[in-house]
Amino acid sequence: MEPIAKKWYDNLAKGKIMGIKCKDCGAYTFPPLTVCRECRSRNLKEVKMSGEGELVMYSSTMLPSAKFADLGKKAYGLIKLKEGPVFFTRIDGVKYNTPDEIRKGNEILPVKVKAKIEKVKGMNIVVFEKK
Amino acid sequence: MKKAQIIGVGCTKFGNILTSPELKDKTFQEIVAEAAFEAMDDAQIPPEKIDVFYVGNMLSNTTQMYSHATVLADWLGLRLKGGYHFDTACSTTNTGLGIAAQSILSGKYKNVLVVAGEITSSCPKGVNPLEREAISPTTLWKWTDFGMDHVYGYHHFYDVASAYGAFTTIAYMKRNKLSFEEMDKIMMEVNRAVRKHASMNPKAITYERGSLEQEARKEGFSSVEDYWKSPKNPFFAWPARLFSALNSADGATAIVVSGEAKKYTKKLPIDIAGFDWRTSNFPWGDEKVYPYPQDTLAFKTAYQMAGIKPSDIDYLYVHDCMQIYQLVLSEVAGYFPKGTAWKAVLDGRTMYDGDKPLNISGGRHGGGHAFDASAGMEIYEIVKQMRGEAGKKQMKKPLRVAVQHNHGYGMHTAVTVFKKGK
Repeated sequence: MEPIAKKWYDNLAKGKIMGIKCKDCGAYTFPPLTVCRECRSRNLKEVKMSGEGELVMYSSTMLPSAKFADLGKKAYGLIKLKEGPVFFTRIDGVKYNTPDEIRKGNEILPVKVKAKIEKVKGMNIVVFEKK
Repeated sequence: MKKAQIIGVGCTKFGNILTSPELKDKTFQEIVAEAAFEAMDDAQIPPEKIDVFYVGNMLSNTTQMYSHATVLADWLGLRLKGGYHFDTACSTTNTGLGIAAQSILSGKYKNVLVVAGEITSSCPKGVNPLEREAISPTTLWKWTDFGMDHVYGYHHFYDVASAYGAFTTIAYMKRNKLSFEEMDKIMMEVNRAVRKHASMNPKAITYERGSLEQEARKEGFSSVEDYWKSPKNPFFAWPARLFSALNSADGATAIVVSGEAKKYTKKLPIDIAGFDWRTSNFPWGDEKVYPYPQDTLAFKTAYQMAGIKPSDIDYLYVHDCMQIYQLVLSEVAGYFPKGTAWKAVLDGRTMYDGDKPLNISGGRHGGGHAFDASAGMEIYEIVKQMRGEAGKKQMKKPLRVAVQHNHGYGMHTAVTVFKKGK
């Protein structure tokens, strides 16, 4: 078996956001796993993701994870990817400094968001931005 | 037909091992033994008759232990017995009931001890096992977040408060066309019930603080509403407030499960009539957030095994690390029709003396959350209620069938169906 996670992170370093598509059921899995998340098949092909999706909801937190605690307050959102899976990460371009801003921001959802690659704490990761 | 029956339960105070009088100066080994001895004494079973014991514990950093059964064998009086460490995080003791039932129904063992303990407040300081230092919430969650996939999920701005608490609340508001003001009031009433029930449970972490009304007065607020909306109760992750989240605790719980109940006790045995477990990595659901497929499947399969329908359930406990799950999961369980649990709460029907009692132990906020041990406090409540030993909190309605659901971070679903035995 080829390393999967390393290849995915290496691709991010080259500016490419990859996923997998199941050759049996057609479902997408993102980020790539050893199997299709929907039907358990190992008959998969690597595909480039569109990076497009819709922000379903977002919030912010009093107690960020240890990894991000020193980066200050951020917005965290649930994204429905154009290809089907849902993904959770930081959202840029939305307001989140007060409860009222988060409330009003959520009232206009879903809105289109676009993926971008960013280096955070030495790792390339995928975050999403409201257009 | 052979049965696996609960014959004894034990539960320590849920509190802080550095400061709570009931726990202070004790070691992890000792609080686990305290819960185990209460359960064995309750069952009137001598240690010699315990064939095997299963030990739950998640935070090895705070207990400095792995393969716990070997160390604990001496402290529990179970040397040379079978035993092992198991862990499904916050559902562990619930999962343990099914494991115990399997052990007995297979014919391998007759009597099983399930025991779990957790220390969330502190960890040993240096090399002295008797000296502990407090850990910060960030450190506690750094270790707790090992429940999250560390290849992808955790490293992409993961936040449990949004993912598990806020989004579930937003989705419930949308689905039921509730405004934020309405939802905030509903969550206050859920918490009021949580605190009322915990104020009647001396083992609960908020017991000494009394009810939400009493605390509001003590804090100088003229009404519960003002207290709820005050800076004392900020948004943990909008729209979920701090009081709607768990209170981490230290504590231990234990259960004795037997295939020969009559040999030891005259107390009412409780049947483990059905159980089911389901797992899923994050994200747990789709864009609708609820129901998660793992919960729907676990309820359905456990009910089938026990031969019950949702309408047979007299008492339900659902996982409430974030109290919004009292509403969503009681609907997924079929205890309330979809979209109506919030009305039942506002009408007071979910109280211990109501017609649809829900989470009357105080749950993970009122009772407190000692991760692997917490489900044991909920089992303790069910057993005492079924036996009629719950004192002033005894349910008014007859209790024949109870169901317990737990989420183990992140995310393991365990559902157990309890029936009044003979």
